[in-house]
Parts: sequence; structure tokens; C-alpha cells
Amino acid sequence: MSTPVPVAAPSTLAAISRRTLFASFLKMGLLGFGGVLPWARRVIVDERRWLDDREFAELIGLCQVLPGPNVVNLAVIIGSRSHGPLGSLIAVTGILFVPAGLMLLIATFYASVAHEPVARNAIAGASAAAAGLILGTAVRLLLQTRPPLRGLLTGAAAFIAVGVLQWPLLWVIVVLIVVGVAAEWRASRAVDADR
Amino acid sequence: MTTTEILIEIAFRFATLSLVAIGGINAILPEIHRVVVDVEGWMSSAEFAELFALAQLSPGPNAMIVALVGWKVTGVAGALVATLAACGPSSVACYFAWAWADRLRQSKLRAIVQRALAPIAIGLILASGYTLALGADRSPGAVALTIVATAALAFTRINPFWILLAAGAAGVAGLA
Repeated sequence: MSTPVPVAAPSTLAAISRRTLFASFLKMGLLGFGGVLPWARRVIVDERRWLDDREFAELIGLCQVLPGPNVVNLAVIIGSRSHGPLGSLIAVTGILFVPAGLMLLIATFYASVAHEPVARNAIAGASAAAAGLILGTAVRLLLQTRPPLRGLLTGAAAFIAVGVLQWPLLWVIVVLIVVGVAAEWRASRAVDADR
Repeated sequence: MTTTEILIEIAFRFATLSLVAIGGINAILPEIHRVVVDVEGWMSSAEFAELFALAQLSPGPNAMIVALVGWKVTGVAGALVATLAACGPSSVACYFAWAWADRLRQSKLRAIVQRALAPIAIGLILASGYTLALGADRSPGAVALTIVATAALAFTRINPFWILLAAGAAGVAGLA
């Protein structure tokens, strides 16, 4: 078992100025074509040295367990460590609100040319590929994590219930979390009993 | 429905989903699709898939898709309400929960919850891709593009932006 390291060393993060905080998260947002996470690592670990690789990986792991967009959670946590609630707001504005405003300009432009066959065909191709990017993300995660059979079963149940049967998400999630945690709990107890 | 009623509906629906978005916005996309396409009829499945492509083509987090959905329904006010509702509750929860979760880093409970949630999140992301593919794939060429993009993302390190641009060019060439 590894020794605990404090996520987000307070001294480093507390020293970040508001301007630097905003500029850094804005950079991650505006350079993040097709996903922000690689840029987040580059800016936070390589350029600013706010966290080392291991701290960053741990923090991302935490952001994935907490509900909500992972990089927005990352902005909330790092922002809060440097300037409290205001810091969170500054970081989220940089990584989410400003790029979203830019996206609305792009969407407005697209709406003005959407009647052109060229634009329609281009977006038809891109949306087919965009669906594939999400499927590919799922495949990649599956290969990386290689869940045991009990995990494959809860994952398959989530896919069939929400994707194929289009059941309301809320109840599916509540039931699957209870089942999944119970199954993991049993499995961990079996491991303990073997020791 | 008046605009105000629509905004309240968006706020309520998205805020409820915010706290169950484990694995990020992709986990709740099928539910957003179900609400805006099947339940409310605010747009077609193909339009939803187009919005998703636009959000992917723009720089920024994937979560921006919720702003675009709100924008499509009621303009800039819709974009703002949808974004705040989808990201606000989870951000507030994150603000207060992370220190507590951080202290639990070595605990058995957190490891168990993490292991239980991971495959569920993957199943939900798969459901998102499937839902989007149903909306986007209206020709054999489009199906082929989806399959190629899936393989390219899963098995190569190509930046997704180039995959989208190439697929857009293939679409212009009449392949989609």
C-alpha cells in the first residue's frame, strides 16, 4: 500500500494568482480540441508544475468518482485550493464558460450555412464519427480497466437499460450502484476470508 | 409551453441529472436525448447528433454539449440555464466532497465504490455512443464512418479533432 500524499500541495496551489489561474484554465479549454484532459495534464503538470504526475492521476481518479464533468470538477478543486469558492468560479469560467461562448458563435455560424448541401454533408460525416469517438472511448476504458465478470454484468445492464431500452437514467443508476457496491463488497470480503 | 416554462423544465431535468453524472456528461447524454427528443420533441435524433458533432468540433470540454442543447431549444438563456443546471449541483457537491473523499483515499469503502462505479460508467458511455449512432447513422457510409472512428479512437493515438475533420471531408465527398 502506498503512503498517502496530499492531493494538491496547499503551498503550491495557494500561491497561484487569480490571473494565472484564469489564464491557465482558459488555455486548457481553448486548446482542448476533442478533449481537454491531455491539455489539462500538460498545463498543470509540465508547464505550471502545480502537481506532479502521480498527484494529477490521483486527482483525476477522484474527479471520475465524483459526479459531473471530470475537467470541470478538476477546475473546481484546484480553484478552491488557491482562492476558495471564487477560485473555483474563476477556473470553471476559464475552462467551461468562455469556450462554451465561443462554441455558440460557431453554432450560430453553422446555423447560417446549414441549408448549404456542403455544410449538411460535412456535419453528417462529422456526427457519424463523433458517435464513434464516444464508442471508442468506452472500448478504450474497457480495455484499460478490464473489469471482472460482476463488473461486466453491471456495465452491460447499464448499456442495455439506458441505451437500448431507453429507460429513465435515475432509477437505473440507483439500482445498479446498490447492486454493484454490494457485489464488490462481497468479493472483497471473500478475499479477506481467504487471507 | 412558454419560454419560461421551457427554461424551468430544462433547469429541473438537468439539475436532477447533474448529481448522477458519474463518468461525466457522457453518462447522462442518453437521458438528455430521451428528454429533448422523445419526451419533449424539441429536436430530432439527427439534430441531436449534429449538435454533438458541433460541440466536439469546438475546443473545450465535452460537457459543452448541454449548453448547445439549451441554445437550440431557447437560445442563449437556454444555454446558460442548461449549463448551470447540468454542472452547478455536481460542482457544488465536488467542492464540499473532495476533501472528504481525499481523506478516504486509503479506505476500503472508497476502493469498493470506485471499482463498482467504473464499469457502470463505461456501460453508460457505451449507451451514449449507441444513442448518438442511432441518430447519426442514416446510411451505410455513415455506419462505416462510425466504425472507423470507434477503432481509430480505441486503438490509435490520433487526436480526435483530426478524426472529425476527416469524417467531415468524407461527408462532403458524399460518403455519409
